[in-house]
Amino acid sequence: MSFLNPFMLFGAGAIAVPIVIHLLNRRRFQRVVWAAMRFVKVSTEKNQRRMLVEDMILLAIRCLMLALLALAVARPAMRSSSHDVFGQSKVSAVIILDNSASMGVSDGVQTRFDKARKVAEQAVDALPSGSAAAVILASDIAKEVIKEPTHDLNLARKTVREAPLSDRATDLFPSIEKALETLKNRSAIRKEIYLITDGQLAGWRQLGDIQKTLKKAKDQTGEQQVATHLVLISDAEERNLGVSGLVLSSGLAPLNRPLRFEAQVANYGKQEVKDIKVSLLVDGTSADEVVIPSIPPGGTRSVPLNTKLRTEGWHNVTARIPADRFPSDDSRTLAVRAIREIRVLMVDGEPGNEPREAETFFLGHALVPVPAEEAEKYYVKTSTITPADLGGTRFDDFDTVVLANVADLSNDTANGLESFVKRGGGLLIFPGAKLNAASYNSQLGSARKMLPATFGEPRGDAGQEEKFLTFQTKGYDHPIVALWNDASAGTLASTRTFRSFELNLLPAAPDDLGGKSSNPTTGVTQTNKAVSFAAPKAILRYSDGSIAMAERALGLGRVVMFASTADTAWNDLAVRPAFVPLLHRTLGTLIQRHDEGANVRVGAQFARRLTADFLHKDAIVMAPGAAANTRDLHRVELVNGTPVLSYDATDKAGIYEVSIADPPTVIKFAVQPDPSESNLSELPVDEVTALGQVAAVQRWNPTLNLREWVEKARVGAEYWLPILILVLALAALETFLAQYFSRAK
Amino acid sequence: MDAATLATLLDPVAISRAESLGMHARYLVEGYMAGEHKSPYHGFAIEFAQHREYAPGDDLRYLDWKVLGRTDRYYIKQFEQETNFVAHILLDGSESMKYGSAGYTKLAYGKMLAACLSYLILHQRDAVALDIFDNETREYLPRSNSHAMIHKVLSKLAAFEPTRQTNIGAILHDMARQIRRRGIAIIISDLFDDEEKIMEGIQHLRFGGSEVVVFHLLDPAELEFKFNGLIEFVGLEAIPNILTRPQEIRASYLAELERFRSTIRSGCEKNHVHFVPVNTAQPLHEVLSGYLAFRLKTSVK
Repeated sequence: MSFLNPFMLFGAGAIAVPIVIHLLNRRRFQRVVWAAMRFVKVSTEKNQRRMLVEDMILLAIRCLMLALLALAVARPAMRSSSHDVFGQSKVSAVIILDNSASMGVSDGVQTRFDKARKVAEQAVDALPSGSAAAVILASDIAKEVIKEPTHDLNLARKTVREAPLSDRATDLFPSIEKALETLKNRSAIRKEIYLITDGQLAGWRQLGDIQKTLKKAKDQTGEQQVATHLVLISDAEERNLGVSGLVLSSGLAPLNRPLRFEAQVANYGKQEVKDIKVSLLVDGTSADEVVIPSIPPGGTRSVPLNTKLRTEGWHNVTARIPADRFPSDDSRTLAVRAIREIRVLMVDGEPGNEPREAETFFLGHALVPVPAEEAEKYYVKTSTITPADLGGTRFDDFDTVVLANVADLSNDTANGLESFVKRGGGLLIFPGAKLNAASYNSQLGSARKMLPATFGEPRGDAGQEEKFLTFQTKGYDHPIVALWNDASAGTLASTRTFRSFELNLLPAAPDDLGGKSSNPTTGVTQTNKAVSFAAPKAILRYSDGSIAMAERALGLGRVVMFASTADTAWNDLAVRPAFVPLLHRTLGTLIQRHDEGANVRVGAQFARRLTADFLHKDAIVMAPGAAANTRDLHRVELVNGTPVLSYDATDKAGIYEVSIADPPTVIKFAVQPDPSESNLSELPVDEVTALGQVAAVQRWNPTLNLREWVEKARVGAEYWLPILILVLALAALETFLAQYFSRAK
Repeated sequence: MDAATLATLLDPVAISRAESLGMHARYLVEGYMAGEHKSPYHGFAIEFAQHREYAPGDDLRYLDWKVLGRTDRYYIKQFEQETNFVAHILLDGSESMKYGSAGYTKLAYGKMLAACLSYLILHQRDAVALDIFDNETREYLPRSNSHAMIHKVLSKLAAFEPTRQTNIGAILHDMARQIRRRGIAIIISDLFDDEEKIMEGIQHLRFGGSEVVVFHLLDPAELEFKFNGLIEFVGLEAIPNILTRPQEIRASYLAELERFRSTIRSGCEKNHVHFVPVNTAQPLHEVLSGYLAFRLKTSVK
């Protein structure tokens, strides 16, 4: 016997109440002066004994009632091996329904999730009346749809029936922890967790912790004990192909230019797959198609897909393979913004006497890598000026400004550059022999917080050809250089740098928004609030670990700085094949500064900085696959001084369209599934057996009768109801006796 | 004597001390007289004793004409006394008479009754003796038929305050010894005493030749015992306080009371004593006229 509200037993002290009332009442009487005492005396003597007995009976009943009431409120419960005559005790249950993407695997008739929902409904139906149920949708997060167990089981049933499937990855541990936490605060003799999942291996990556936690919960005594029922809905899907990545190889998406996308297709199955048709769709229309001859089990193939974007603005570019039983990973979409042209202003700090000697000679050719006659049509337009012309230049006529070996900057120029960058412009800084490091550090560094790093001491000797630094050879984390993780794209490492400035990365400014890290395999950015959004970052390092390239965001724009020169004075980068892609990708990053975050992983937050015009405007977000009438209204809020539109209900993969009525704007962003979810391999049998030690495990089959199964496991009863009935009976008896005893006799 | 004359005859001091009593008595008596001119007490006074020879100066009204006609002798009819009839009014003045639930006590009611009876009796020139007692005689007015007697009676009654417990039996025995002449003993009491001793006293009175009338006064609360809740009864006489729930012992109490009353009633009947149970909630004139009417009826027969 245990008590679910043991402290309520102190209520038994209430039995003192009738005794005290009795004693107090004996002191509260009416005094009547009376003549006919002899008759009263005789009558009292005759009735004394009877009245005393009656009083004692009533007092005993009242005390007993209160004691029992305290007992009932303390909710005594007993685990027994048989069903109680009063029926099953109430259950506090948490239903964890796996709604990760892998639950979308279909057997041709219904998906795993359809089955899971039915099982979850059965679990609700199997709860004894008076029970309460909470519902958690488990993916890589625990989404508490019904946070506190509700007694409204119809609500729980409806919630389960209408639960949406997400495109998120799986991690069951947070959900199990949440469920245990929810149950911990409940007082019930019986606590149960129903975990309905497909047993995908990826979801059990914290299996050890799960086992430990569940075992601890199971081994608890009394009301802390939690029983877990695990229903595995799996149908050994042996084949699965998925588009595991899609990136735009060229960093920029200029209008009417051939764009190269890299689609990565992975075979998660156990058999080799042949002749896989990979198609590229732009805004839903087929643009390119490539056939991969074969992919071995567990293998990955990347294919280039080419297309052109015909109109300016946002496009959704989808790579698709033929549908299989797991449709969620058969396509992957990017949101790409087509741009008409990019105007680059190059400020040449050392023009030299002839073009070849100019600081920006290589830069100009790398930015416009086409013959002179085609340069007119090329999307990158460059203009070159000298530092002396800086004063009369309107930066807003350009998208990016490149400072190449410019000695120092006037205050006006620095102010102009700051507001240019803050409005969304890009600034690229190359040092050189003329550069006045102290001036830069104070003008752009400490005064305006524009530099990602300060210029330190120059090191190395440009004349000394034997001694040089190379770039890092692997681990290219930054999106600009992530391309070179793939050896087929060439190498950066061959570059030799003879002389360079030491770059000292600056700490993040406190007013920076959010943060971002990147996923090198998919090129998808993922926001992370813990790291500052605009924190200065190293893009590329030298082999000795010092920084070769660094960047930081500022306002809507971005600043990138190099440690060495733009020409071949201090290094040979400018004559390496990697120079052009590096420069273009950098330019792409600078230009698409405010398009970044347009491609996020499922579940990640989409955040977009906007200009002040948009502050407090309402944005309608339309999720992929959502009915036309289910539009989400979000308001552009001020975050750290910048208007930001954020959206984090990115449960479904695909294109999200954001429209703002005034000024009329449409923004698109794409949400991409986690490739880890495509791997449908299941928890090994011996692990399932091990789980059987801490939970009742049942594999789904079409005839599964959950109720019968759980009722066998569910024994024991609470006794507050019979006690309460007894209290009510005593109350009735007391009323009757009190009336009967005090009737006129 | 009419009411106006009586009012002028009453001493102002006595009136002021026993104003309520006197007024009540008068009112009630008048009420009675208005409907019933022929007082039943009238009969008591014609109590013939003996003849004696006429002597000059005797009132010719008392000459026995029948004897004169038969024997030609002058005889005067002689009565017992100046008054033939003495009413001894015994009013219980013990503490138990202090009880009253209707705004007045049993004693007050008894005083009114005594005053009314005194008035009535004196009004017809019969003599009245008043004895207010508890465990012994507290106040006593020797018999008299004078008009001043009513004032004395009223002031005595008005001035009396009870202090002690009762002992009716002993008092009745005393009275029986004192009353030499046959008269009428009117006992006004709640009789809260040993019923056997009371009956013995009554028997003693009856043995002495007195007619006995018992007015048994009981308060309506005593008769009905309608109390609720927890009540402590504070005894007016020696019995210690009792804490009880009266509604639970009511039946038993009423049975006890009835047993007591029936003992008294049957004892009275056995001794040819008029037993008049009086609920003090009843208007006095009703009680009085009821009883007097009953008495008239029985006397005429």
